[in-house]
Amino acid sequence: MSAPPESQYGDKAGTQPDSNQLHIPSDAELAEMSTDDLVRLGNRIDDIEVVSDRPRFPVPGTRAEKRAERQVAGWFILAAVMGLAFIVIFIAWPWEYVSPGQDGDLLYVLYTPLIGTTLGLSVLGVGMGIIAYSKKLLPEDLTIQQRHDGRSSEVDRRTAAARLVQTGQQSGLARRKLIFRSLGAAGGVLTAGIAVAAFGGLVKNPWKEGDDSPLLVTDWKSENGERVYLRKFDGDPEDVVLIRAGDLEPGSMETVFPFKESDRNDPEHLAEVVRSADSPVMLIRLRPNVTVIKRAGQEDFNYGSLFAYSKICSHMGCPTSLYEDQTNRILCPCHQSQFQANEYARPIFGPAARPLAQLPIAVDDQGYLYARSDFIEPVGPGFWERRSS
Amino acid sequence: MSDQSPRPRRLWARAGTKTRRRVAGFLALGVALLAVGGLYTVFQPEPETARAQDAALVREGQSLYDNACITCHGSNLQGVVGRGPSLIGVGEASVYFQVSTGRMPLKAQGAQADRKKVEFTPQQIDAMGAYIQANGGGPVVPAEPDAALIGSDLGRGGELFRLNCAQCHNFTGRGGALSSGKFAPPLDPANPHQIYAAMLVGPGNMPTFADTQLSPEEKRDIIGYIKSVSPDSGAVNPGGNGLGGFGPVPEGIVAFFVGLAALIGISLWIGSRQ
Amino acid sequence: MATRARTEAFRGERLLARGADEVDSRYHPAGPLRRQIDKVFPTHWSFLLGEVCIYTFIALLISGTWLAIFYDPSMAESTYEGAYAGARGVEASQAWITTVDISMEVRGGLFVRQVHHWSALLFVAAMIAHMARTFFTGAYRRPRESNWILGVVLLLSGMIEGFVGYSLPDDLLSGTGLRTGLSAIVMSIPVVGTWLHWAILGGEFPGTIIIPRLYIVHVFLLPGIILAVIGVHVALVWFQKHTQFPGPARTERNVVGVRILPTFATKAGAFLIVNVGVIAIMSGVFQINPIWKLGPYDPTKVGAGSQPDWYMGIFDGAVRLWPSWEMYLGNYTIPAIFFPVVGIGVLVALLALWPQIERLLTGDAAHHNLLQRPRDAPVRTATGMMAFFFYFWLLLACGNDIVAYTFDISLNVMTWAGRIGLLVGPPIVYAVTYRICLGLQRLDRDVLEHGIETGVVKRLPHGEFVEVHQPLAVDEQGRTRELAYQGATVPRRMNDIGAAGAPLSGGWFRPDPAAEQHPELGGDPLEVQPREDRTEQAPATAGAGRPRPDEA
Repeated sequence: MSAPPESQYGDKAGTQPDSNQLHIPSDAELAEMSTDDLVRLGNRIDDIEVVSDRPRFPVPGTRAEKRAERQVAGWFILAAVMGLAFIVIFIAWPWEYVSPGQDGDLLYVLYTPLIGTTLGLSVLGVGMGIIAYSKKLLPEDLTIQQRHDGRSSEVDRRTAAARLVQTGQQSGLARRKLIFRSLGAAGGVLTAGIAVAAFGGLVKNPWKEGDDSPLLVTDWKSENGERVYLRKFDGDPEDVVLIRAGDLEPGSMETVFPFKESDRNDPEHLAEVVRSADSPVMLIRLRPNVTVIKRAGQEDFNYGSLFAYSKICSHMGCPTSLYEDQTNRILCPCHQSQFQANEYARPIFGPAARPLAQLPIAVDDQGYLYARSDFIEPVGPGFWERRSS
Repeated sequence: MSDQSPRPRRLWARAGTKTRRRVAGFLALGVALLAVGGLYTVFQPEPETARAQDAALVREGQSLYDNACITCHGSNLQGVVGRGPSLIGVGEASVYFQVSTGRMPLKAQGAQADRKKVEFTPQQIDAMGAYIQANGGGPVVPAEPDAALIGSDLGRGGELFRLNCAQCHNFTGRGGALSSGKFAPPLDPANPHQIYAAMLVGPGNMPTFADTQLSPEEKRDIIGYIKSVSPDSGAVNPGGNGLGGFGPVPEGIVAFFVGLAALIGISLWIGSRQ
Repeated sequence: MATRARTEAFRGERLLARGADEVDSRYHPAGPLRRQIDKVFPTHWSFLLGEVCIYTFIALLISGTWLAIFYDPSMAESTYEGAYAGARGVEASQAWITTVDISMEVRGGLFVRQVHHWSALLFVAAMIAHMARTFFTGAYRRPRESNWILGVVLLLSGMIEGFVGYSLPDDLLSGTGLRTGLSAIVMSIPVVGTWLHWAILGGEFPGTIIIPRLYIVHVFLLPGIILAVIGVHVALVWFQKHTQFPGPARTERNVVGVRILPTFATKAGAFLIVNVGVIAIMSGVFQINPIWKLGPYDPTKVGAGSQPDWYMGIFDGAVRLWPSWEMYLGNYTIPAIFFPVVGIGVLVALLALWPQIERLLTGDAAHHNLLQRPRDAPVRTATGMMAFFFYFWLLLACGNDIVAYTFDISLNVMTWAGRIGLLVGPPIVYAVTYRICLGLQRLDRDVLEHGIETGVVKRLPHGEFVEVHQPLAVDEQGRTRELAYQGATVPRRMNDIGAAGAPLSGGWFRPDPAAEQHPELGGDPLEVQPREDRTEQAPATAGAGRPRPDEA
């Protein structure tokens, strides 16, 4: 074992009273030293001073000591008992799901709390026991160690700097401008190349379809003039139920989705549409005698007292669907934006700045509601390219 | 609580023929369920219907109405401006919901009526319902035992609940805030008939869900789902205390005031010298 | 080597010594090892908050690895047909189905899920508490500025990691979180928003790729970053040595505390175990994120009371409070949500730069190893309290619907109270905190000047009533000597200086016999004076405030 390198002690002069006087004993002397002597020697090398490490119970066998011992052991015994309980419960307790109200539901429900508390108490017992041991039985330690903050020793600083300077001079890069610059160019291009390779694969053009970009159109848009009907969702996406005007009582709301007859035999698409993030629409039937204010350009979008607004909040895209049928407000549960259903769903409170998009609806000759066209504005949260007017 | 009392059993007979057919359909379904379960025969509806008794019931209802409701709803059910709406056409379901949950008679005008102690016996509520129904008709809750209104397709019930109800009443029916001091109440205290009635009539600011919107079977599945996740109806909760079912807010509070607090307490113990 | 000491009485000891020699002759760790186990750490309970962060993170790594064995990060839809009756027949993604399966069909799976989630909440909460301690005591001052920035990096990565993990089960709450917290916010960025959205989600929200992408971020990228930064963070504390509070014998140039062996290591190790125990009990007793009840994500559905986990609450609170102000520039739009998010970004930048800002403001470029009590830096403390008020006010705003519902307050009133409070509150908090700091300073100085109020009122011969003060120090004539305030705790009550005496030792039912009573052993180890040559840097009155016989 060698003495610590000198740089360890290279702090500002005057703070290292011991370093100069430290005598490193020879191997023979070391072999003669007691454990305590050796510890003291180590303390001096490490520049620490043990102010106090007196035992908690200088007189062994007192009642207080036995009590402390019992307390520590008590924690460990708790840990052992709980650990055993945990193993037994984990393995033997009925853990498989039981529906509420079925036989054994209470036992099942207790499974997680039981394994949690038994395992937790077991682990906690070990930890608390060790802490108690440390606090009650280990000697109370009070040690002072000198810090060695600040700069490295002058020798280290100068020699290290000299090596770096020398390397720089030997490389000659300061002279060989061509190499320096071409290396710089290569490094820069390589970095760019790695960046392109890493992120290039992710880049996709949201405006590839131009005015038909998914940001601007929804499934309510008809590709070939086919009529897009309003359908509701009854739990089974393949069960297409169209809506008649009379299905809704005054003061009611139904979430509706687009449906094209040509999709009837495409279960995948039917399931997709009822979970799409931009096409759900709230079909609201206002109560009679409600004063309606329509937005310019949307005067004929409603069908009688039936109004269809996008369910996707214009603020951050939550389904804003808390329709209050007396106040005619639509509240968004995410950020509390409120829209007035009888006034073109304009925002009247909260952070939303734009009305909900309105879907123009009409009734076909069989009484089924359909969308006359797609929304006339983008649905949902705003984005940079969104035209504001 | 009187909420738990079974629905009175005679009302269906007074309804119009269309309603009667519908009610009969429900009854058939109920009977089928009973046959399968074999448990609910005790509560099977009594098959007697007596017109004379109906008339007596309407009269009793009218006298109750004249005592308790007339101030706000007017002598001819036409409503009183600034006090209460017209009750013509609201139907027996509406009376049942409002009175059996204690919301009516109202104690004081406010943002909305709160559930409170019920002031009338089931028979009296029946009578009032009969009186209202006799004057303008309206929606009627099927006269079946509670159990028959609890559907079994919980998956579908859950999907429909999340589509139509959860936005106001929370994922598991704990309730939630509405605009300007109104709120959607928790669904735990409501019995199946009250939930059914609420869907039919849309009390307060709740929208109406007519049978053309949510079929009776769908309503039953929704009720079945609500009852399967409601701790008050005995549905137990795996994984410990549900923290009220309000999700991240109480979870965060517990993380700070239980978890972190416990660990800081232990830190204090470790850090102390004795 | 220490183990080669002469007393090789036992065979076990000989074996150990031989083993140690085998290791040392190959890797010669003896010198560094001794230095490390001799290292001194100051003891204060608040220094354990950082440990809580590491231990909860360890719990996260272990429970997360276990969960990954059962979880399938796929957005492929299929019909749920598992054990939970409330969702049978529902269309859901593999991510949701496998997470429900972990909860319902894996023995102990629900428990481990809850361990993971509770640990995550505690991880970030402990980071906030740790950061508060570091801030209010000025521990970030030179030479520890870099570690402050690393801490801010850890806090942010921890928050994002939590948010990403919260999104993985693909339930109705987390999907709503992705819609608002990721999709809408990314989309709101001017110029590149839609492009960024397309890059991250592969197209329109929600697409079919986001869960797998978040998964690799959650289990590989961010944990790796966090682990590496924690490594550097702790290494810097290790090499720079921990700061300490001012106190007897404590100087800028030393560390007064306990050595790694035995005290620090046992306590720290035990604290790790205790942390795991507390998390385990919480995870058994409190349900968290019951995703089977929330249902699978579906952009058309939502529940009342949709909140993110608490640590993302500031963003949600900020967008709830921001008024409906959007910016329209010709044909282009900057959506309302962009501004509060940028605002929080600016605040986070200010937070990271705080050490530099404070240095500019105070001109204090000195090396600091002694901490300050919050009262001694009133501007910093008041600024910090102001920032914390802002933070927790936004958190409260994130739960404003729950608060409104629980306490029967109008939702609209809550929103307005949130907006007004956010602007009016911080200055008030600043002023009040500043005053409290000054008041506490005066209180300390008062005690140091006049002594402790004893509560004993004396009537002087001429009739005046005075309260008797217990001086903390007296001069040669026995008069109260004023002591200088040096940033350490000052006793305020007579009991603080031992007026009540020490209790006898004993059990619950009887005291120990008189022969075993050693009141002198129960004394304060700090009373032990350090060696003379160590104290030249120490405050003039080491143990400020403690009355000593030699001062009488």
